[in-house]
Amino acid sequence: MARNHGSDGSTSRRDFLKLGAVGAAGATVGAGWRPRKAEAKPEKITFLRESSYVKEFDEHFNKVLIPRYQQETGIKVVYEIVAAGGSAVPRTVSIVESKAPVDAAWVQQEWLYREGLLDVSDIAKDVGKQQGGWYSEIEGLSVWEGKWKSVPFGNIGQCMVYRKDWFDQVGATTFPDTWEEFLEVGIKLKKAGHPYGMSMGHGYADNNSWLLPLLWGFGAQVVAKDGKTVTLDSAETARAVDYVRKLYKDACLDDCIGWLDPHNNKAFLTSQISATNNAMSILISAKRDLPDMGKVIDHALNPKGPKGRFHSFVPVTHGIFAHTPDPAAAKHFLRWLMDPKQVAAWYRSAQMYHAPFLHAYDKDEEWNKEPRFKPYQKVLETGKLVSWPAAADRRFGEVVNKWIVIDMFAKACTGTPTKTVIAEAVTGLKQIFG
Amino acid sequence: MSRVAEATRPAARAVPSARAFRLREWLEREAVFSWLMLAPPLLFLLLFLGYPFCYGVYLSFVRRPVAQPATFVGLNNFLNLYNDAIFWQAVWNTFRFTAAATVLKLVGGLGMALVMHQNFRLKGMTRALLLLPFIVPTVLSTVAWQWIFDPGMGLFNRLLMFLDLVKQGPSWLGNPTLAMVSVILVNTWRGLPFFGITILAGLQTIPDELMESATIDGAGWWGRFRYVTLPLLMPVIFIVTTFSIIFTFFDFQLVYVLTGGGPANATHLMATYAYSVGMSSGQMGMGSAAALAMVPVLGVVLLAMSSYVRRR
Repeated sequence: MARNHGSDGSTSRRDFLKLGAVGAAGATVGAGWRPRKAEAKPEKITFLRESSYVKEFDEHFNKVLIPRYQQETGIKVVYEIVAAGGSAVPRTVSIVESKAPVDAAWVQQEWLYREGLLDVSDIAKDVGKQQGGWYSEIEGLSVWEGKWKSVPFGNIGQCMVYRKDWFDQVGATTFPDTWEEFLEVGIKLKKAGHPYGMSMGHGYADNNSWLLPLLWGFGAQVVAKDGKTVTLDSAETARAVDYVRKLYKDACLDDCIGWLDPHNNKAFLTSQISATNNAMSILISAKRDLPDMGKVIDHALNPKGPKGRFHSFVPVTHGIFAHTPDPAAAKHFLRWLMDPKQVAAWYRSAQMYHAPFLHAYDKDEEWNKEPRFKPYQKVLETGKLVSWPAAADRRFGEVVNKWIVIDMFAKACTGTPTKTVIAEAVTGLKQIFG
Repeated sequence: MSRVAEATRPAARAVPSARAFRLREWLEREAVFSWLMLAPPLLFLLLFLGYPFCYGVYLSFVRRPVAQPATFVGLNNFLNLYNDAIFWQAVWNTFRFTAAATVLKLVGGLGMALVMHQNFRLKGMTRALLLLPFIVPTVLSTVAWQWIFDPGMGLFNRLLMFLDLVKQGPSWLGNPTLAMVSVILVNTWRGLPFFGITILAGLQTIPDELMESATIDGAGWWGRFRYVTLPLLMPVIFIVTTFSIIFTFFDFQLVYVLTGGGPANATHLMATYAYSVGMSSGQMGMGSAAALAMVPVLGVVLLAMSSYVRRR
């Protein structure tokens, strides 16, 4: 047996020092973070997501997908959940900055940190080919400088949610088709004690999801297609602002001007409002906890304006952080997750709460189980990114997170003249777009 | 050889003990010992406060979008803030919020302490209960306040309607003025026990003899309070107010959870604005500049505090 130690079989002082140094280094590395070798199988993959408003969605991931992946690969998946309601973006930003040990995530507002994400073009292209192709609008978010920086998942659709019984009582047997009709019906409903509750506070989804489509429907845009020219200062914007001021005053609950994302759910479920713009979570909650109310809730597409009908996306995309110690393993996980064997059941677990950006699911049987959810699938046809008609880049992150457009409308509702609110918004936008 | 060894042995033994003695003597010198004791907290401060602060100062002079390299921009971030209407609104809001909440907490806390200083049944339990707002995590209590402010089902509006004061309650978080009143109210509610308990501790150090002699000299309750209690409480009141100004000026959680800075920026504070620019919008440089803009105020408060302590 060959010996590596001293010639007499004992450990020499030099060997001892070498061993000591190696041991100390090993202990140091072992105690903290260490890079994984590409050829070695990782022990775990950490996947971060914002908690879903439909609890079955997270349950399916925890109870079905995690055990299955571990069984198939021997790799443990750590599902890190961030509370919904605005904390996911700062958390993801801090992960990118600190290179925290998270491999993949729902990369909310990925335009802020695309440089910190891996190129996942191979996965996105294969998944698209395999499952009917992607809705083209989502490419404006996921594709950046010719590379897919994220794999689209689904749109948390935002539609008009309303109390059909109360609408019927004021003679509106079908949901208003235009914004003007929506106002007329709203005036009647408010007089009957059932105002609308259209969010205009510092939330992230339920405010943008109707105010931006309304603005576009009136023919106005925040920024031109070139992504540089601020185009908000227009007669169309002024008309949209005047409309929202009137809608708020004559048809809405006063409180909605300060609402964050959960507030309209609460107001609707406590019968304080007759309509709002929201995801399908209100009906899901009502069917579970308030079955009588569940029977009289319905959904409709956003009303149309003089220039058409629009919706804004609340897109969910998954990406891999560039600092992951094992890109191949993270990519394998994401590819596995988006395989129809996994992803189809995952979509269905939440009753298509995340409307798939893949055409293969356009006529999925799940949409027929609750016909009232169908408008959320239709949203994909008229849905735009919040930056529309410009591409989604980091400057739009500032527009959204400083609530520049939302506050333009909110200030008008508090009595500030239309010209002033538009001028203030334009000043804010020019600071961002130069 | 052995004789030599034997001869040198005591000396060899004496060397370490002499060294140990010198080391102990050196360690026991006041200048050395005090620095040794100060070293761990100083290191802690340097590591967890000094480093982030210096990094923040560095970031405020660069354009540093998240995941991108930094570019030196000099004072551009501060100039941009200077021209930013939302930033100035946040500054104005922060001063109003801090001033109103601090005055309310001071007056309320003093009252609370004076009541708690009396003898009554269940005094111990009442004192413990009054500490609750301070103990409950802010996020949790703020969610409860959201319900209290609810226009239709909230406690406030139900109470107002029950007392027949209004037909329909106001929108506490939807009206810009009332939204600011609401956040001030919640901050006061949360901070009151800090004032109350600290001032109560100060009250308990005032000797009864002073009160008795003031009474013998003919002082009524107001005279005793004005000429005995208040002057002796001043150091405690000054310290507690100073700390409260700092905590209130930098408040973040309450506004973030209750209003998100809305409606229309009516409750945006400097801390929430710095967070939305730096973390949510990913503009680290600009966000740091907004956060750093709060430091001068802190500096003035600290100067006032240290000069007061020195005078006493």
